[in-house]
Amino acid sequence: MTIPLQAEALDISFKLLPAIIVFLMMASFLVIGYVFKVADTEGMWVAGRGIGNIENGMAIGANWMSAASYLGLAGLVALAGFYGLAFIVGWTTGYFVLLIFLAAQMRRFGKYTAPDFVADRFNSPTARALAAFTTLLIAYVYSVGQARGMGLVGQYVFGLDIIPMIVVMMTITVGYLALSGMLGATKNMAVQYVILIVAFLAGVYVVGFTGGYSTVLPQIEYGALFSELSRQFSEPFIGGNTYYLWVATAFSLIVGTCGLPHVLVRFYTVKSERTARWSTVWGLFFILLLYWAAPAMAAFGVDLFAAVNDISPQAVFTGEQAMSGAEGDVIVVLAAQFADLPTWFVGLVAAGAMAAAIATTAGLFITASSAVAHDIYAELINPDATQRQQVLIGRATIVGIGALVTVTAFNPPALIGELVAYAFSLAGTVLFPMFFLGLWWENTNRQGALAGMSVGLLLWITSIINSVLPAYVPALANIAGEGGALVPIYAQYVPPIGAALVGTPLVFLVTIAVSLATPEPPLESKQMVRQCHSPEPMGQQQTAEDIVSSGGDTPADD
Amino acid sequence: MSQAAQRHQNTDYLDEEVNLLKPSTPYMRDHLRIVWAGFVAWALIVFGPVTLTAIAPGAMTTTMPVLGFPWHYFLVAFCAPTGALVLAAIYARQRDKLDDKYGIDHNTAGPDEGGASEGAEATATDGGERPEASSEPRSDGEEER
Repeated sequence: MTIPLQAEALDISFKLLPAIIVFLMMASFLVIGYVFKVADTEGMWVAGRGIGNIENGMAIGANWMSAASYLGLAGLVALAGFYGLAFIVGWTTGYFVLLIFLAAQMRRFGKYTAPDFVADRFNSPTARALAAFTTLLIAYVYSVGQARGMGLVGQYVFGLDIIPMIVVMMTITVGYLALSGMLGATKNMAVQYVILIVAFLAGVYVVGFTGGYSTVLPQIEYGALFSELSRQFSEPFIGGNTYYLWVATAFSLIVGTCGLPHVLVRFYTVKSERTARWSTVWGLFFILLLYWAAPAMAAFGVDLFAAVNDISPQAVFTGEQAMSGAEGDVIVVLAAQFADLPTWFVGLVAAGAMAAAIATTAGLFITASSAVAHDIYAELINPDATQRQQVLIGRATIVGIGALVTVTAFNPPALIGELVAYAFSLAGTVLFPMFFLGLWWENTNRQGALAGMSVGLLLWITSIINSVLPAYVPALANIAGEGGALVPIYAQYVPPIGAALVGTPLVFLVTIAVSLATPEPPLESKQMVRQCHSPEPMGQQQTAEDIVSSGGDTPADD
Repeated sequence: MSQAAQRHQNTDYLDEEVNLLKPSTPYMRDHLRIVWAGFVAWALIVFGPVTLTAIAPGAMTTTMPVLGFPWHYFLVAFCAPTGALVLAAIYARQRDKLDDKYGIDHNTAGPDEGGASEGAEATATDGGERPEASSEPRSDGEEER
């Protein structure tokens, strides 16, 4: 699939007022980041663990509402119609599964990162390395979507070409991150959540109102528009978007939600498991504020696209003047532009998109940096590493992954939302089964985990090689031919975007079978699992391991 | 002290197997009941409408009165995410009730939370529903051995 590099319909030029809004926003991020600047690794990774329900819920929301939610979601709903709703369902309802099966248990396990969890649960440095590698891969793929979003929207404000624009936006993100640790980032994330939800909802309400589409509840009122839009907007299962693909996509996004390291790390920043539970509920609510409104914005955008270009509703989807992928990706900003709103207002909506992308990229890069500094460097390469060395390695990782993401975003393989979905299917295939079985089946052992993670990684990587790489490697493209996939049947049932529908059950089976065929894990591992489910309250800095190794005493008794 | 809280105090959770299908403690049985009921409701809300749409596209794509959405679109775009939020709030509430039933108070957990003042505050504000056992740190050290 070829994606046009930039959105033709977008007004690309330098605009002073929007530029000032963006500048003020960035400056406030950097100032807050500077104020909360921290030097020790404890603060850098989990913000000293003491954040409440609502603030943590907002941080979950900000972390979540990346360019994929802010821009990509409305784009998918606008371009792919009913199939786009699989992304709405997948990116919201997964939080319930996370809440009932993992959130509080993770908090009780009490480890900093996903690799830490896997390493301690399965007593294996190799498992740690596999999880750290997966974490890095997720952060990388996920961030490419963000970089593309920042670049596309940045063009409206700054008018640069797409490539310099991506470089500038990523430099800002990396510079900000290198300066502040996660304490700054956490405080910022609540601020960024507020900025972006206000910007997004302002866009939806104002476009809805000035366009005569809606008044007080655009989230519901856009229903009246369906009779005027092309049937393609709502028709289920058209073209290649089958029922199987719909379910595979939604399933992957749901299990991916439960396996994403940058979501799970939010549970380590709260003071108790009860806070972990309620902040998940709040987080989902804050996320829904955007997700309820996104399809409304898509509907307004599609209708305005037809009106402004003076084409029929059907011509938005097919023919010469149809909406391009890049235009779909910025439909949120385009809708505001088409509605003839003042440039400062369109700039505000655009600035919100940038905030969304920066907030998420910040969280991902922190996760990537701790995967490298903590899990690969300090745990495997140099066990005597000082705190200072770890912080330095962590920062170097941020700069390195930032550069790699930037280059990849110049020519991305898919739409923003789809790129991010690749990362979800990886997280859901490799990490979710480890978390779920690790926390709910005490007989899961090291051999099972290693076999399961290897199979999961292999399945996802072959799926990417099969369906995505042929577009980049001419030799593969020749083999793939028309369909674009090396093995069409594999691409049909294990598409990169929905790989988890086959992958997750397979990894569960492999992990369980290998665990059964090999010796049971030591009693201490089993007791850690039991401690995660015990109703006994635990101290804020305690881990399940502490409790088990101290012979089951609850230090609350002292 | 309630019977449930008594049983809870007599249980060493480190000796009880965790089994998703076969709960080994009364607390786990109560908890899993909430978990599975929620999960089934969730699965119906999330995958029900889209499956019905695949089975009976004609009936599902009819237009809703007043709102104007096709049914399948509204059920998926609005009801599924909202349903998950409602279920999440119900689950968190049920878990808090379960903690009350077993006399568990998260506000007095751990030595490094500054628990004392916070715990007292919580006790004062929640209308005395909390079982009395939870207002003082529990001493279950004896049963542990």
